Amino acid sequence: MSHLDSSQRTLSGSTRRGFLAASGAAGGVLALAACGGKSGGGSGGSDELVGVGNNGMAGKGRSGDAADQLFIAGFQWSPPTNFNTFAGAPAWPASGNVAQYVYETLLRYDIVSGDLKPGLAAKYEVDGTSSITLTLQDGITWHDGTEFTTDDVLYTFELGKIDESLGVASFWVEVDEMTADGSTISIAVNKDRKNVGMVLATLAQQFIVPKAVFEKAAKETGNKLASWETKECMGTGPYTLEKADQTQIILARNEKYWGKDFYGGLPAPTKVIHPIFKSNEDGNLKFQNGELDVMQQFIPQISKMWDSGKPVGTYLQEEPYFVAGSMPMFLINTTKDGLKDPEVRRAMAYAVDYASIAETAMSGYSPDVVASLILPEGAESEWIDKDKAKADGWSYDPKKAEQILTDAGYAKGSDGIYAKDGVKLGPWKLITPQGWTDWNAALEIVAKSFTAVGISAATNFPQQAQVTTSIQNGDFDLACWYVAGANPATPWQRFSDVMSNVELADLGKTAYRNYGRWENDEVNDLLEAAAAAADDDTKKKALTALDDLFRKEVPAFPLMYRPDEFFEFNASNWSNWPTEKNDYAPPMFRGAGNEWIFKIQKIGG
Amino acid sequence: MSAPNAPLTDEKAAPRSNPFRSINLSTRFWVALVLVAFVVVLGMAGWVYPTGPGEKVGSLYDPPGNGLLFGTDNFGHDVVSVLMAGTRTSLIIGLVAGIVATTIGVAIGLISGFVGGWLEELLMGVTNVVLAIPSIIVLILISISLPQSTIWSLAIVIGITSWPWTARAVRAQASSVATREHIDVARLSGSRLPSILLRDVLPYILSYTVMAFVLQVSGAILAEAALSMLGLGPSGANSLGTQLHWALAFQAVASGAWWAFLPPTIILTLVSFGFLLLQASLDEVFNPRLRRGKRRQMKQAAARRAADARALAASRSEQDDDAQDPEGAAVPAAGRGIQEGGVA
Repeated sequence: MSHLDSSQRTLSGSTRRGFLAASGAAGGVLALAACGGKSGGGSGGSDELVGVGNNGMAGKGRSGDAADQLFIAGFQWSPPTNFNTFAGAPAWPASGNVAQYVYETLLRYDIVSGDLKPGLAAKYEVDGTSSITLTLQDGITWHDGTEFTTDDVLYTFELGKIDESLGVASFWVEVDEMTADGSTISIAVNKDRKNVGMVLATLAQQFIVPKAVFEKAAKETGNKLASWETKECMGTGPYTLEKADQTQIILARNEKYWGKDFYGGLPAPTKVIHPIFKSNEDGNLKFQNGELDVMQQFIPQISKMWDSGKPVGTYLQEEPYFVAGSMPMFLINTTKDGLKDPEVRRAMAYAVDYASIAETAMSGYSPDVVASLILPEGAESEWIDKDKAKADGWSYDPKKAEQILTDAGYAKGSDGIYAKDGVKLGPWKLITPQGWTDWNAALEIVAKSFTAVGISAATNFPQQAQVTTSIQNGDFDLACWYVAGANPATPWQRFSDVMSNVELADLGKTAYRNYGRWENDEVNDLLEAAAAAADDDTKKKALTALDDLFRKEVPAFPLMYRPDEFFEFNASNWSNWPTEKNDYAPPMFRGAGNEWIFKIQKIGG
Repeated sequence: MSAPNAPLTDEKAAPRSNPFRSINLSTRFWVALVLVAFVVVLGMAGWVYPTGPGEKVGSLYDPPGNGLLFGTDNFGHDVVSVLMAGTRTSLIIGLVAGIVATTIGVAIGLISGFVGGWLEELLMGVTNVVLAIPSIIVLILISISLPQSTIWSLAIVIGITSWPWTARAVRAQASSVATREHIDVARLSGSRLPSILLRDVLPYILSYTVMAFVLQVSGAILAEAALSMLGLGPSGANSLGTQLHWALAFQAVASGAWWAFLPPTIILTLVSFGFLLLQASLDEVFNPRLRRGKRRQMKQAAARRAADARALAASRSEQDDDAQDPEGAAVPAAGRGIQEGGVA
């Protein structure tokens, strides 16, 4: 076991090569340990571990310093250069809406229950659609020991006014005024928009930063906060940034963390170490060998890992293993001839082989697709009318797709492609960024499905920047793109992303929602009503009305579901991971996903 | 054909009067032919194979078994069927690109080599500039800018980026042919430039052209694989490169799905190895000096020549020193052949 001790020393060293060599040695030992490890269910008695691999296995634990450290991956892919949370691409854990290890948010979103849990704010109250009141926790301190006050909160959001290019600026679209009184903060929701959901979503996502530090930064940069560069990040969280170099980011436990009582103690790991890998494969291999404890990288066929005796686990024991949190959307440019026709769009929705996509492209990680813009599982499930979605919605049925086209007056030409009045259905290009492999594969299946029913389509995968511009400018035929993932503002935000006619951008101009330029007279009123709904019944009715319109007009349709974050753990060193049976915390890193780090248990000595 | 002043014995004794014995194809020609034929047959077999390459027969990376020789790929398609379709696509791209590249290269090489002067300077200047740019970069740039990537567009793009070395080599040969007497004869007889190029120059460098074509085909197949692995392959079509692309994208190596990436890799290796070997052995066919049959065969041929010569000498009943002459002429020739064969 001396290997591990030496490997740990090297790990704190600086060379990548040394790290890889040492971790290779550690991997060998861990693999052996995993084979002869304790079994979660079998050993019985007080020794029984919960929250272990899906095969019931657990490892024996690492020895030495590494036994108390948590190895995490999937959030940082390049050498960390800038820890300014407002920069274009800040390094983990300063990047926006990631695990709350250094910075924290006022409220924390739970992707399983859909609840907003207290964070820096001990409680929040919503008064209809007019205002939100937050009360801060007691005794919060910054890492340097100074007191955390309402000034810090106000200033964080104020930055959106100081520099309007920052993401936080969009907060002020929905909010008129934010004031503090003692430890209470009152937020006046914009009277015209009345969109409480969007305000809560921002409160649950925006890291609160120290006013003292950022005031200085604003002065230094002439209020161009995004251009400020820093190697430090001081927050309120349970960890401090200890070291960051090209191979890893190391966080050290903040022994004076304010939340000791609130979370029932300090986090279990003394350090959180994020090694930086060049590719998914590197990380996946290390994860399989137990050199990483938890990560959010895409692993095809993760079940093979526990089938081969590794103590690897996921929140759900059975397929789809992950809790659905986002909805890759099939966007349709409704300004193009042919695609203008809702019947064509409906036929398309019937033509796609969703089961194939879920099974192969998504590696089985997607539940069955429902004809709705509301996620059928998890946080949003209370809002969906599943019976209606089933009755009025679509499913994979190529015959029906052809029937719809024939009924709408389309006829197959000699080339096997449907056409009407000289408007041929295709050839259309299906675009999505190169390297987004599951989406690439999904579109390949869509292209084949379309060709099979007589719609001409072929895939094309340019670079991400090019796809982003094409989609925003409406310069595309068909595309796979993302819309809002589960958050306190969804499903409303997703309806807005897909259907909103507010500030509808012309072709060639940058749009931020409704990329397909679908036009409709009713939708804005319906969206407004849903956003301003005062109680749950009204809200559900309004959302169902939107969903009905969505099913009738098919401005876009979901191809599959994806977890918001992949949550995969290897119980080689730590147990008591959150699972469906051990559901004290949601399977996520951001938001309420910070809870499990206080509760995981070291297996070995 | 013999020189008028050669002794009669030479003509009769020459083993090259027998065409079958003289072609003397080496083992590596046959190996190359078998390899290339195997790959071509594999490509053709897709037409009779029961499952299509787009048919979903299983799940993500089903291992071999259940009647599937190489299991399924990441789409759940039969790997064997995809491999057949992929081989066919790769061969088509290779052939088309090879034809395009060889045509451009030979045309530019012929004209600049034969015509010479400023035209040669101009054409070779362009060729050298194109040669100096790494073709893979040009290939990637053109492929990215194409609105739609099909196997035909890809083949043509590969073809128009890989002609320069052929042009240079053909120019060198053409300018050498241009100084020969029969060209003057052709000129005097009133032939025009295209006719001279096609009838009097091209035939002399045809053997080289065929070999260059074979190399171009193999190069194009590899170029297609490289492009497709980067994700710039033909959309909606299977090729060996796209097969590798998806295997990489779905981490076949990490998840141990060897059946998804080994078959296309092996076929690619066989294709390029087979074509290179074919090119090398064709070289021997066209250039007798490079021929290297078995040493024993060459020795036998030498011995046969010697024996023939002796028999002839004996039948003539001439004096000893006269009889040595033909033998002395034949043996060194054979000896040179052996030497070269041994060295090459």
